[in-house]
Amino acid sequence: MEEKKTNRQKILVVDDSEMNRSILDDMLGDDYDIIEAENGLEAVSIMQKRGTEIDLMLLDIVMPRMDGFEVLAVMNQNHWIEDTPVIMISAESGSTQVERAYDLGVTDFIMRPFDALIVRRRVVNTLLLYAKQRRLVSMVEEQIYEKERRSGLMIDILSHIVEFRNGESGLHILHVRTLTEFLLRLLQQKTDKYHLTGSDVSRISTGSALHDIGKIAIDEHILNKPGKLTDEEFAIMKTHAMVGARMLEELPMHQDDPLVKTAYEICRWHHERFDGRGYPDGLKGDDIPISAQVVALADVYDALTSPRVYKAPIEHEVAVQMILDGKCGIFNPLLMECLAESADKIRTELAGGTVGRETHRQIQAVADESLHSSISNRTLRLLDYEREKYNFFASLTDEIQYEYTVSPPMITLSANGAKKLGLDEIIMDPKNDKRLQALLSRETWMKLSDRLRGTTPDQPEMSMEFLVNVDGVPRWHRIISRAIWSGDDPPKYEGALGKVIDVHDDRTKIKELEHKASSDPMTGLLNRASAKERIEERMADRPESHYALGLFDLDFFKSANDRLGHQFGDEVLKTVAQRLSHSIRGTDISCRAGGDEFMLFLEYKTDIEKTIDRIFHTLCGDFEGFQISVTMGVALVEDTGLSYEAMFHAADQALYAAKGMGRGRYLFYDESMKGMLSALSEIDSDAAAR
Amino acid sequence: MTLQECYAAMGADYDEVLGRLRSERLVQKFVLKFPADGSYDLLCRSMEDHDDAEAFRASHTIKGMCQNLSFTKLGQSSHELTEALRNGRTPAADGLFAQVQADYKETVDAISAFQASLG
Repeated sequence: MEEKKTNRQKILVVDDSEMNRSILDDMLGDDYDIIEAENGLEAVSIMQKRGTEIDLMLLDIVMPRMDGFEVLAVMNQNHWIEDTPVIMISAESGSTQVERAYDLGVTDFIMRPFDALIVRRRVVNTLLLYAKQRRLVSMVEEQIYEKERRSGLMIDILSHIVEFRNGESGLHILHVRTLTEFLLRLLQQKTDKYHLTGSDVSRISTGSALHDIGKIAIDEHILNKPGKLTDEEFAIMKTHAMVGARMLEELPMHQDDPLVKTAYEICRWHHERFDGRGYPDGLKGDDIPISAQVVALADVYDALTSPRVYKAPIEHEVAVQMILDGKCGIFNPLLMECLAESADKIRTELAGGTVGRETHRQIQAVADESLHSSISNRTLRLLDYEREKYNFFASLTDEIQYEYTVSPPMITLSANGAKKLGLDEIIMDPKNDKRLQALLSRETWMKLSDRLRGTTPDQPEMSMEFLVNVDGVPRWHRIISRAIWSGDDPPKYEGALGKVIDVHDDRTKIKELEHKASSDPMTGLLNRASAKERIEERMADRPESHYALGLFDLDFFKSANDRLGHQFGDEVLKTVAQRLSHSIRGTDISCRAGGDEFMLFLEYKTDIEKTIDRIFHTLCGDFEGFQISVTMGVALVEDTGLSYEAMFHAADQALYAAKGMGRGRYLFYDESMKGMLSALSEIDSDAAAR
Repeated sequence: MTLQECYAAMGADYDEVLGRLRSERLVQKFVLKFPADGSYDLLCRSMEDHDDAEAFRASHTIKGMCQNLSFTKLGQSSHELTEALRNGRTPAADGLFAQVQADYKETVDAISAFQASLG
């Protein structure tokens, strides 16, 4: 039937008889939206799609395709029955049937024939009952928040009592708290050193309110003495740190509460200094918990800028300078940086009413979070379902999928990814994981990390290729990854996710193709263009070296081709190429310049003539009855200058000159050959024809 | 022919149905819909084909509709047939099916007459 879009509650009527559905529709359609399903299977598919939208299900028992009990079983399996009440409708009156239906979680049972009043009444009751249950859940939640809020309130009252005795302005605690939170957030952005999470920040700021509770035990005359304290009085004053700590330590309850532990650190050590010259324990550096370090700084700043019985308030700028100059003791340099960089912001932060706003925002966040976690376990199950789906698809691909979080430092791998790499699916502290280190070099790890941190929230993707030692053999892999940035301002790098693909075979294939493109297919030597490239690279690398470039062609090759056939000619070319590559070193460069023309390029130290002579004689000689003979021109870099073109040109002229003197010889270029004709024209026309 | 007379003609309980559905208009609407329902055809076909499970469901559906409409007579015979088919076909089923056929005809005839009198 057609379904109107309204905010009315929705009832899913499941019955195979159209008439029965339409009777129910008539009875309920005025007050509710009715969705119809004509068998169990259809009902299940509607539940799958519409889920919690359905406020109530009216369910027949005997139906084709899937009966009412089967529908209930599916609803139990998927926990839908917890969110969507079911009223069973049937002509069945056997008590075992009824019992079974109740066991499967139906809320009510309506016997056929329907009585319009009864149907309506039961539907209303059931809906009300469920609404009440949902309301109860949210009431419990509200009470939890209320409790949280009150405990915050108690802390405020308690710390205010202390202040009252101190004769301090009621704002000190608030300022210290605000400043503590502010400094912690700056510190979070600056460094990962202290592993500060959002909840750490809020716990330390809350705990900061208790930093001076020990002062309750200090004599009022000392606390509020307008002038300078005597040594003896100061000694008593100093005890407040230890006294406060002991008060918390001796709490009969809540010893394991993280807030109590944090407050203990703060009470005891908020007068310690980074250089070890504070009290009561004389702790040094990061032996002082970061909570106490931050509160100490906040306390000092506010003490300086607030009026006290023994002193007038000091200007913000002056106070900051005094702290930075170490006039109030030495603090953590990182905290000093935070203070120096954000001094202006601190003043506005304390002056403005941002405190309340911040707290309110947090409460809202907590409320949202817990609301979502308890309103519907269904959501979690949907997530489970998504995860399952993801795992399934992950298992079908060859890719290694991963997620990485900075805090806690952890890598999660897809199941088959982990198997492939021989790692666990979850790797804690990956930077120091031995097995991971065996796979990735330190440089690779750093490079990956740099690349990910180098992304921005707007463009968080990156991809790069790197070597992974799979079973000890390095193979090329490509990573395609997306960095995760927090919504903070400035955004924080929180980790990354992505996939890693083994591209080794593809890469090898590409290398092969590159080689094919750069070489002559028949002889396997380089072609002229790529030889030129390598020669120029070599010259650029070592411009001081001695180089020789030789050009030669085969004598009487054309007639051999004509007489003995092209196939034989090809064999001759291959043989010459082979002899050529055997007679030079691996670092030398040889190439087929075109047709029967070859080129070689040598780096030498002494006596190049002897080398050329040896090569020349290796090239010549019998091949299956054909006398191979070559004519060669050679140019040396000292005669031509460091230029491939010049050397090639000179060698070409020498070759021409050699031919003029009769074939089967080699000749070095000299000044006398300048301006001679070129043997090159043949090569060029030949090359052009290919 | 009034609706009440129609009910009397088919051996059905008009007072009961009106008590439950609380509106003559509704009762009339569903009574007129009854002959169009496919369950009876399905029942006949599946009885012929010896598809006992299908026959059971069809018979069960007819029984449900009769209960809703207080078609006492057809309701009773379809109830008996349903039970005779519930756990496979019993020897009594064929006889009961014949009774359902007779009662169904009587019911549908009465409804047709009533519909004709509405003009």
